[in-house]
Amino acid sequence: MKLYLIVGQSNNNLSFFSYNFIGDYMFFKNIHTRIKIVLLIIIFLFLLITAKVFYIQVIDYDKLNNYASNLWSRNLPLEANRGKITDRNGVVLADNITTTSLVLIPNQIKDKEKTAEMLSEILNVTYDDMYKHVSKRTSIERVHPEGRRLSYEIADKINNLKLEGVYLVKEAKRYYPYDTFMSHTLGFVGIDNQGLSGLELMYNGYLTGEYGAIKYFSDAKGNRLKLNEIYEEPQNGINVTLTINYDIQTSLERELDNAMLKYNPDQALGIAMDPQSGEILAISSRPNFSPSNYQDYTTEEINRNLPVWMTYEPGSTFKIITLAASLEEKLVDLEKDNYHDSGSITVENARIKCWKAGGHGSQTFMEVVQNSCNPGFVILGQRLGKEKLFDYIDKFGFGKKTGVDLNGEGAGILFNLDNVGPVELATTSFGQGVSVTPIQQITAVSAAINGGILYKPYIVKSLNEPETNAVIKENKKQVVRKVISEETSSMVRQTLENVVSLGTGRPAYLDGYRVGGKTGTAQKVQDGHYMVGNYITSFMGFAPADDPKVVVYIAIDNAKGVTQYGGTVAAPIVKQVLYDSLIALNVEKRKDGTEKRYNYLDKKYIEIPNVVGKTVDQAMKDLKSFKVEFSGNGERIAYQSPIASTRIYEGETVRLLLTN
Amino acid sequence: MKKINIVLLISILAISIFGLIMITSSSYIWAEYKFNDPFKYFKHQALFLSISIILMIVVSKIDYHIYFEKANIFLIVSLILLVLVLIPGIGSVRNGSRSWFGIGSFGIQPSEFSKLILIIFTAKYLYNNEKNLKNIKKGVIPILGLVMIVFGLIMLQPDFGTGVVLVMIIVGMLFIAGVDFSFFLKIGAVGIIGVVGLIAVAPYRLKRILSFLNPWEDPLGSGFQIIQSLYAIGPGGLFGFGLGNSRQKHFYLPEPQTDFIFSIISEEFGFMGVLIVACLFITIIYTGFKIAIKCNDLFGKYIVFGITFWIAFQSILNLMVVVGLIPVTGVTLPFISYGGSSLMILFLAIGIILNISRYQK
Repeated sequence: MKLYLIVGQSNNNLSFFSYNFIGDYMFFKNIHTRIKIVLLIIIFLFLLITAKVFYIQVIDYDKLNNYASNLWSRNLPLEANRGKITDRNGVVLADNITTTSLVLIPNQIKDKEKTAEMLSEILNVTYDDMYKHVSKRTSIERVHPEGRRLSYEIADKINNLKLEGVYLVKEAKRYYPYDTFMSHTLGFVGIDNQGLSGLELMYNGYLTGEYGAIKYFSDAKGNRLKLNEIYEEPQNGINVTLTINYDIQTSLERELDNAMLKYNPDQALGIAMDPQSGEILAISSRPNFSPSNYQDYTTEEINRNLPVWMTYEPGSTFKIITLAASLEEKLVDLEKDNYHDSGSITVENARIKCWKAGGHGSQTFMEVVQNSCNPGFVILGQRLGKEKLFDYIDKFGFGKKTGVDLNGEGAGILFNLDNVGPVELATTSFGQGVSVTPIQQITAVSAAINGGILYKPYIVKSLNEPETNAVIKENKKQVVRKVISEETSSMVRQTLENVVSLGTGRPAYLDGYRVGGKTGTAQKVQDGHYMVGNYITSFMGFAPADDPKVVVYIAIDNAKGVTQYGGTVAAPIVKQVLYDSLIALNVEKRKDGTEKRYNYLDKKYIEIPNVVGKTVDQAMKDLKSFKVEFSGNGERIAYQSPIASTRIYEGETVRLLLTN
Repeated sequence: MKKINIVLLISILAISIFGLIMITSSSYIWAEYKFNDPFKYFKHQALFLSISIILMIVVSKIDYHIYFEKANIFLIVSLILLVLVLIPGIGSVRNGSRSWFGIGSFGIQPSEFSKLILIIFTAKYLYNNEKNLKNIKKGVIPILGLVMIVFGLIMLQPDFGTGVVLVMIIVGMLFIAGVDFSFFLKIGAVGIIGVVGLIAVAPYRLKRILSFLNPWEDPLGSGFQIIQSLYAIGPGGLFGFGLGNSRQKHFYLPEPQTDFIFSIISEEFGFMGVLIVACLFITIIYTGFKIAIKCNDLFGKYIVFGITFWIAFQSILNLMVVVGLIPVTGVTLPFISYGGSSLMILFLAIGIILNISRYQK
């Protein structure tokens, strides 16, 4: 440079260069034209470049921004809430609680030793295992299962450490507020909230939500950038509304629990159904399980939802089908036709005994049903003939799955019509030699009493949008077929009401409500032989008999310490469930029912007369059937409890408030 | 003597200071990671920019006619340096090319000098051979032969980008000097035949050449840089993320302060930033060509055109690579990309133009 500085700044050379140019104007012009051409090409190229940038930044923006966002962002996944399962009135049966889980981003953990040591202490994981987690070559690492579903205390401890690259993210945990309540039907979920049984499994696709995320930006080495996080809201799963009525279900659960304590049976089950639609109002079975501790139970205990899975000889409850068929075919006049039961009937050299030793003697067929007299039903079966009887059995839906929306349904077994001889016809007509499921029975009986229409049973009422609970899809009642006429159905109802008022079903009698029903006692079959002293005792009851709102079926398998008859074991349970159901369904009491026939041991219901305003002496006379307790002082009755025209058992207490 | 061209001076200072800001913004992540000093590149470039400005002012006062006399010596020195740099122990290797005389982190590229020297020498040659230019053999072949020797030396480093820029500057100068248009068509034709021949021999070359059209075919190999560049430009949108907010500079785009600095400009300032940079370049180029046209002296005219065309061609080459219009060639963006010796030579060259602008009509 120095060289130039010394030589520079002399203008002398200018003239030396310029002398020959002035005249050469054309030559210059030529050069200038070419420079301008070059300039135009250059400007064109710059425009091309700018256009390309415009294309990249505007036209290709979405695509590139998307790709680039994926490149820059790392997701901390946020679990969505699983859809709730509720009863028909919105009572939540399967809910979610929010827990937190540990998420590690190994690239951001600078001090791996310290982090591993502190976390291993809190989570009770060995240091070596934790070190593997914190130094794993992955963008996001979970500590499974120790770091999942942390309790608040542990989460709080971890949070307080404020460790780099250690995050706590929300996870939703399934929560069953009523624990064992309806456990088989609801099912349960695994650690990743995936449905593993019951409705949780069947409707897993709807119940499962979509993961959301906290997106944060990271550099190419995985370090977190100080840029705003993007919150992507998780999409909650769809709610499932059941046809179940929580109050009825609660009653059924309680009654089955009581039965388990009282009779210590091998198994027990119960269903309540709306006979006018096939909606299942309650369903349960024993043994049951706690869905949050499903690991503690066997697969059989978990998977056997007895009301739909179990198949067994129904026993006498099946007589309802024979009865309905005979009435529909007008083969019997219940009031006028008589049958003499000697205690047994001989069919093709086989002697079929009645359950009552010595028989029921001479009876109308109405009494045959009331007494659940087996030989009487053999006669009905013979009148029908095997084709007709089996045709009705088929039309009532036996021998094939009902198609209820619950998994693990059984189909049952019927005789092949070609193999049915007189003996098979005879036993089938009173419920032996056939194998059916409880759901088939209750569905068939619903058809027999609801006016003759067989509905497809169902338990899912609707699928609902998670935020607004708006109905997405609704299941409506589905007619399978018309089986019997309205008149026949009406007769079946009346007959079965008589069974409860006057016959074997009396333990199910509910004063003021018209209850119809049928007992059932079936011997269990093992290895092709009937077991001794081991019965499934059952009862099928419904109310009110003039307009059935609910059918309840209870079956108790091998009740201990009791005479195993459906009437004695199952009927009182059905009675209680029916009573609770009628209250839950706001069914009014009826006045025109068949009065119960009382045995000398039975307590009677008596209506309380009005004594308000009467003297104490008069009141004592009027209330002679009851115990009377007084309170207050005076001569006259100011108030009575229970109030007038309430029906209570005789000998129960009536309280009176005295006044002057 | 007139004043220097103030538009050119201001444009050059503006674009260089903007470049310095962008070098700082795009490099501090890498600088902190590599040297534990986020302002390492900034300090380096700021020092060189200061030296360069002083150099430019000094040179703008030196009568450019001196170069006419010294052109031959410059050329010889330049050729010697280009040979010396190839000798291991004297020249050092950076980024795979033995292009540097280095002392510590400071390095000087003789190939950058050779561009300016060759422009000066060619200007003198064209001035002396004004009448011979219509005769390809007598007028054009000698100078082209010299250029090919220099190109060959540069390709031995190897530095393809610099070599191409060098050849194209001289071709551009020959063009405006009035060499027959048909000559360039012939050269073009020969080039195309050569390329077609190479492809015919080994068809995979076509695929490699065209890979820039769909970089996603080889996202971790040949397509990597262009994809990373597009990921910076695209999300920038109309207005960009704002100064300092580039994401691609966070280790995604390697050495973002060098060849691909334009991607980071697009990311941080969006399309608006791109327009501003393009306008600055066009102002510089337009002003340069205007000085060339106004220059009465053929030698000065050729020098000014040569230098301006150099800036134009190199920036277009760089930008077309960055936006994915042509395959990666590895040239820096003049005045903006990081690089001390390149900046110094450019300012030296601008100094010469500024001096020439004093002699305008």
